[in-house]
Amino acid sequence: MSEATDNISRHTLSWLLLCNIAVLLPLIDKAAVATLGICGICFVWRIGIYFGRVAKPPRWLVTTLAIAAGSTLLLVSREIGMLNALINLLILGYALKYIEMRERRDILAIVLAGYFLIALAFIDKQGISDALLSLLVCAINTATLLSVYRGQQAWLLQGRQALILMLQSLPLAVALFVILPRLSPLWLVPQSKSATTGLSDQLRIGDITQLTRSQALAFRVTFDGKAPAAPQRYWRAMVLSDYDGQTWQQAADVRDINWYRPYAIKEALAPTTGATLNYTVIAERSSQHWLFALDRATSSTRAVKNLTDYRLVALKPVEQQFQYQVQSQLDAALDDPLSASTLRENLAIPQDRNPQTLALAQQLKAQYPEPRQRLAAMMQLFNQQPFYYTLSPQPLGQNQLDDFLFSTRQGFCVHYASAFTMLARASGLPARIVAGYQGGIYNASAGYMSVYQYMAHAWAEVWLDGQGWVRYDPTAMIAPERIEQGFDSLFSPEESYLADASFSAIRNSSWFNALRQQFANLDYYWTVWVLGFNEQRQQQLLAKLLGEVTPLRIALFMISVITIVLLVIAWSTGLLRLPSRQSVVDRHFNAVAKASAKAGIKRELAMGPMDFTALLQHHWPQYHAQLDDWNNCYLQLKYQSLSTNELKAITLKFTNKSKEIIKIISRDPAAN
Amino acid sequence: MLKQWFNRWLNQRIPAAEQQTLSHRSIFILPSGFGLLWIMLVVLLFLFGTNYQNNLVIGMALLLASIFVSTILHSYRNLAGLTVISAGTAHTYAGQQLSIPLKLSAERPLFQLQLSFQPENPLRVAEVTAEPQQRVVALQTDHRGRLNPGRLRIESRYPLGLCRVWSWLDLNTHHIVFPTHARGQQPLSRLDDDMGSTGKQLSGVEEYAGLRNYIPGESLKQVAWKQWAQERGMLSKEFTTPAGEPVWLTLAANLNQQQLEQQLSLLCYQVDELAKQPNQYWGLALGPLRIAPNQGQAHRLQCLTALACYQQERL
Repeated sequence: MSEATDNISRHTLSWLLLCNIAVLLPLIDKAAVATLGICGICFVWRIGIYFGRVAKPPRWLVTTLAIAAGSTLLLVSREIGMLNALINLLILGYALKYIEMRERRDILAIVLAGYFLIALAFIDKQGISDALLSLLVCAINTATLLSVYRGQQAWLLQGRQALILMLQSLPLAVALFVILPRLSPLWLVPQSKSATTGLSDQLRIGDITQLTRSQALAFRVTFDGKAPAAPQRYWRAMVLSDYDGQTWQQAADVRDINWYRPYAIKEALAPTTGATLNYTVIAERSSQHWLFALDRATSSTRAVKNLTDYRLVALKPVEQQFQYQVQSQLDAALDDPLSASTLRENLAIPQDRNPQTLALAQQLKAQYPEPRQRLAAMMQLFNQQPFYYTLSPQPLGQNQLDDFLFSTRQGFCVHYASAFTMLARASGLPARIVAGYQGGIYNASAGYMSVYQYMAHAWAEVWLDGQGWVRYDPTAMIAPERIEQGFDSLFSPEESYLADASFSAIRNSSWFNALRQQFANLDYYWTVWVLGFNEQRQQQLLAKLLGEVTPLRIALFMISVITIVLLVIAWSTGLLRLPSRQSVVDRHFNAVAKASAKAGIKRELAMGPMDFTALLQHHWPQYHAQLDDWNNCYLQLKYQSLSTNELKAITLKFTNKSKEIIKIISRDPAAN
Repeated sequence: MLKQWFNRWLNQRIPAAEQQTLSHRSIFILPSGFGLLWIMLVVLLFLFGTNYQNNLVIGMALLLASIFVSTILHSYRNLAGLTVISAGTAHTYAGQQLSIPLKLSAERPLFQLQLSFQPENPLRVAEVTAEPQQRVVALQTDHRGRLNPGRLRIESRYPLGLCRVWSWLDLNTHHIVFPTHARGQQPLSRLDDDMGSTGKQLSGVEEYAGLRNYIPGESLKQVAWKQWAQERGMLSKEFTTPAGEPVWLTLAANLNQQQLEQQLSLLCYQVDELAKQPNQYWGLALGPLRIAPNQGQAHRLQCLTALACYQQERL
């Protein structure tokens, strides 16, 4: 094919410079350092080539680099995950092809790889803004391709044309998106490892980085009935009962669940009858199995398992928005009888640590033999003694809890929950820490509740005879005046969080909040209707659109969409108005020619206006002067540069003359 | 067999005409190789999106798919409305390239067209507008004769290279390929008896006649460099042929095919040589065909055409 040997135009090269950056930028957090380095070198080298400073790299160099990079990635693929390794490999291939390109074929390969890389960025960036940005990057990539086939044309025009092409194609894409059946995954695919979440399956008191201040969304909830009151919004995610003096972990049997043999997981019983709350949770990507629910919760969603401690887990790590139904009994205690091993676990105390704490527990036990009173006294401890809430507490020593309870007295939820749980255990009450989220911002207009990462929280549950596990939140006991920093996860998380941030004046203004609300709603609809568009929503939407979902109606719908789209494109490119695109001047000139043809005097195709006038004058000699006038007008309009006013006047004159002449020609017979 | 049937169908669908405007009747469209790769990418992305249950990736796959659909129309639009007019007959000598003139215009601007009679000699046109432009398409010739260039292939891959739109136009033209020049020293043949006494056998073609002032633009080959070196100014050598007597160029009888072609090539060269000389009249006798002695460009073309087409009817 002769086209393949075409040289690459400078226009295309400029587009490629832009395109390279645009495609790689959204992937920057996925690329390994080495990958980024090679991309940078390739880009700088390309710029050098572009300005004629350096030569193209020899092929052997590129090949060596490619092999070296590929094998390095293979070696580290275990560390960064298979998917990340693949993404890096693709990025490297893209960058190397980029400096190596010589022919049109190479550019086509780069453009195709570019589209694939744009799609890869969607793996964990799925917000509206990400989608819009990707659309722009797509347009840049398309413009690069267009420049290959369009040749020299102004930059802006090419970009505009690519954008128009994409916008023209969007309606059809949307229609296809709506009607195409949603398939379940066809085979197992590698997943990437990283995700930000406010929760961790290990809590360490000494390690404050565990506490995220991220404003990112954790999950959203839509309630079938009324949303629960604020004090009830304790979203349980994990139960941590294993404490070694440093770290809280889940019980060994939960840690060791084999996710490839999900049937081995023990399931909780469905809630007994009583007042229940039904709701739907859309969890954001966390790359973890844990899910969120209130109190005594069970779920009937297929991919969700109900653990015996009334927590929900997903059978597969949550890699994109995951939606599940939950049924909760809010005030029902979690009252399954404790097995001997569970009891042992929840009474375990690390040996030879925290003597002061243990002594305090014994003292309280003696003072308050009744468990409930003892617990109330422990809670009061945090209120009456000078405990401070801070996100940056002083470091603690070997005896963490002793240091916290008796010397530093400052910390965040994990400190309080740990101390409380240990006190309870030491006084003979089974207790554990629950990690999850506390709070939730209810959006009344759209009817959903948002829970953000900064609402991550830890509290305690204590086993009481006859009542089961009862929730205690010692952090809530701290006196308000002793809160040093953002009281993130308590009571009114939104206000306290925002007060902490800058621009508080703007943030407090009503229009800003209204705007923010609107964006939040938009994001909610985006999540539900675009990202979470599944079979069920598809049926819902199709039923709304078509009335009744039959293959015939779907076919008709598709055909009409395609027809409309194609008609719009045809019209916009000028295909639909072929005959009427002549200028006024041409139209009148042609009308005269047509009239004379009717009268038997045909204008040859190659005949210019002068010759044609002469021909007319030959056949209608009596109108010689008139035809001269007409011809002069035509020549002026066609070949002279005129001012706007002149143009108007002469066009008018020409139009009138043309009409006169047509009248004359059709009235008077032609002379020989 | 299949080709014949296809040609017959093509002749019915796009009949030959000197002026043609492309429309849906004459435009063909198929995905290009790149277009097929594009479709593979769409499928790949769709699978990728399905396996990761990622609606945005699926959406992107569908967007690329519908871009493909849109470009079908855009590609079609880039040929529809193109008017191609055959702008006359072209001549050349066998073995050289024939430059076939065409006039191109279109109501709406069209971009990046490729016109070719032979795939190895394409003409690239960056833009066709309402203003007619004359362009030539090259055609490599190999033997003399009246040449039907076949169908002109007009192709475009605009805007994204996903679709190949093309048309085959028969512009209903014939072009003349003269025999190749062959320098010959020996006289070709004697004058036939029935030519009468008006003819004269061709001997020396050029004879030195004297010097005259050099006219700017004249060939430097004719400058009298010796006189110029003697500082007598720039002079041209003038050659004349003994005027008046017309010469006849004739073809020997009973030649085999190879000899015939050789002879025709010699005659072709001599016609051109004679045409260069002012005041030289010549005639041409090719078998039964007689072209009366005359001079000038038109006469030269007539003779060369006769040489080109001699015994070519079967081709």
